[in-house]
Amino acid sequence: MIELKNIGVQFSGRDILKDVSVIFNSGEIIGLVAPNGTGKSTLMNVIMNYLNPNSGKVIVNQELEYTNKKSEVKIHQLVSMMPDQSDLYNQISGREHLKIYCLMWNSDPKLIEDTINELGMASYISKNTGTYSLGMRQRLCFAMQIVSDTQVMLMDEVMNGLDPTHVELISQILVKKKSEGKTVIVASHLLDNLEKYADRIFFMKNGELQLVNVISPGFEERSITTVRVKEMPDTVKEKFSNAFSKTNVRSLPNGATLLDVSGYESGTVGSVAEFLKENDITEFSFGKVTLNDLYSLYYQE
Amino acid sequence: MWAYFKFEFIQFISNRKNIAIYVILLFFWCYYALIIAPVYNPIEKVDESEIEARYLTRAEFLDNVVLTDGSHALTRFAAAIYPEWNDYDKARLDAIEHGKMEDYAEATAKWYAYADQMIFKSGRGVLFYNPGYYTYGNNYATMDGHYAYSYSASRFEGYAEAKSDLSINVFEERTALQTLQRLLDSYLPIILMISCILFTVDIVLKDRRNPTLVQGLPISDWRKMLVKGGVSLLGCILTIIPLSVGLLIIGSQNGFGDFALPVPIYSAGENLFTNVMMGEYLIQNMLFTIFWFLFIISLLLLVSVMMKNEFVNLLAGCVFIFAEFIYFKRGMGAFGNVQWYPTNYVQVGQVISGYRNYLYATESLTLGNGLTVMGLCTSIFLLITFLISNRRKFRLL
Repeated sequence: MIELKNIGVQFSGRDILKDVSVIFNSGEIIGLVAPNGTGKSTLMNVIMNYLNPNSGKVIVNQELEYTNKKSEVKIHQLVSMMPDQSDLYNQISGREHLKIYCLMWNSDPKLIEDTINELGMASYISKNTGTYSLGMRQRLCFAMQIVSDTQVMLMDEVMNGLDPTHVELISQILVKKKSEGKTVIVASHLLDNLEKYADRIFFMKNGELQLVNVISPGFEERSITTVRVKEMPDTVKEKFSNAFSKTNVRSLPNGATLLDVSGYESGTVGSVAEFLKENDITEFSFGKVTLNDLYSLYYQE
Repeated sequence: MWAYFKFEFIQFISNRKNIAIYVILLFFWCYYALIIAPVYNPIEKVDESEIEARYLTRAEFLDNVVLTDGSHALTRFAAAIYPEWNDYDKARLDAIEHGKMEDYAEATAKWYAYADQMIFKSGRGVLFYNPGYYTYGNNYATMDGHYAYSYSASRFEGYAEAKSDLSINVFEERTALQTLQRLLDSYLPIILMISCILFTVDIVLKDRRNPTLVQGLPISDWRKMLVKGGVSLLGCILTIIPLSVGLLIIGSQNGFGDFALPVPIYSAGENLFTNVMMGEYLIQNMLFTIFWFLFIISLLLLVSVMMKNEFVNLLAGCVFIFAEFIYFKRGMGAFGNVQWYPTNYVQVGQVISGYRNYLYATESLTLGNGLTVMGLCTSIFLLITFLISNRRKFRLL
């Protein structure tokens, strides 16, 4: 478990993190979502103590804090951050990288071969990383963190440069780590993927962390809450508002329109569908608001 | 910590700059062994024709000279000192003719001792040392000759007493071990120290190229630096490998010599020189050089955490190595406490052989003082580094 208590970070008088307080529990996958440059990496750097916050503290397992170098080492034994693929040593092999991390964290050496096989890296793992493609490097960085086997794992843009197969593969491994009781904190722009696997998702804006459930109550519920219309002319929107005055209509920057039908009975939902059909709108779907939709709504404001 | 050591060592040996240093050293030592060492022309060499020419000239003088009351004082002086001198030259010639190296060593030791006594004490301004010392701009030629003759006397005395295999190459200090000894007395320590600086200059700051990979490792910054220092030290010690290749080449050409060969050590007493065995001399040099490595490494670790700039590291290291060239003046040891300046100990071999004391006109530049000064400085550098790196807000990168 890791707790952030009133974390504040300022650069040049600008609040990057503003009084952030949150607890990340064991056995949880946490998603951090925000546009570039809004403080995700800063937050991770604070958690790792690469950056001293102007205020607040990080508490690990309710007892460890970054009070001195000794406790920093203890925390780093429990908390790790996935390395950046551009930081790999080009002149040594992927296997050497894994061995180094395994030795440094004194984890089970068996993890090395298991992770290599799980991520399908056997064919290139013995070559120097200078010969790797972006995706191969990204998988190696992920594998390094898996091999370190720490209690808390921070991953910044873990899915970068990966094909859909490997995105899914890595997602499965994250789920496995979660089941082992690890806390996995993932910053990612693959929102569909995050929505699928994360237990809690936070948006970051103006230096604050906002739980998606708070922004959109019922986000996690598996019920029909939204009708998503691909294209809805303004005249139809106006007609719709007149016909369903209590229904919240929201337009997204990509042209889609969301009709909020949460709490509606199936008959009313049917009427909405009928209205759309009568107005020659055929491309619509029922479901709940997606993370992509929420992201668009939240950051366009 | 061991895991981190392995990690750092892998980086160290795969670092292109470090590989380049080893390759350059290998090339240099091979060049030295194949091109420079074979044309080494010692001033004090075994030159039968020179001995014979001197012997015959003096013998003819002694055969023909007639001393009268009117003879010039210098004629009397020559007639008085040449007989014994010529006896030694005759013994040397006979020993060479019969291949009796021990006899040659014994006679040569006596020859140098006698020659030095005559030239330095009795014949100042009349008699001269080997012309090799009287070079343009050398105001201390007589002192150099005095040192060299006393050194040679002690050395040949050692050859005569020891049980080493003697040869012309041994007498002219051309064997591999003697070449190493000569190198330690000249520019080898500086080459090793420059290598040490180049190995260490980026050992901390290189991590800036891979920050996310190394920052979060579960090891403290202080321990990281200790390990980095250890790796750098090991890397410096490994410079022995290219050096050994050069020595092997020299050994295959001129013989290797042995660890029982005498090495004269200067001390300002009645007997200017006492011999130690080559093995002891080399161990002392190794120990002192390792202290120097520790000094440079700890200095550069400190500068790395304070300045975080590789060029400043390079500059700081070079200042300590080359500072002596700026202020050194022969005989200055008589006027100041030269033993407290670490820069006075750069010429490791010369400090141990006592030559540095001779140049400084002091007795205080000793191995013991050197180790104390270097050890103290190293401890201070490490202590400051420890204090800085344990500050809560300190960042190594």
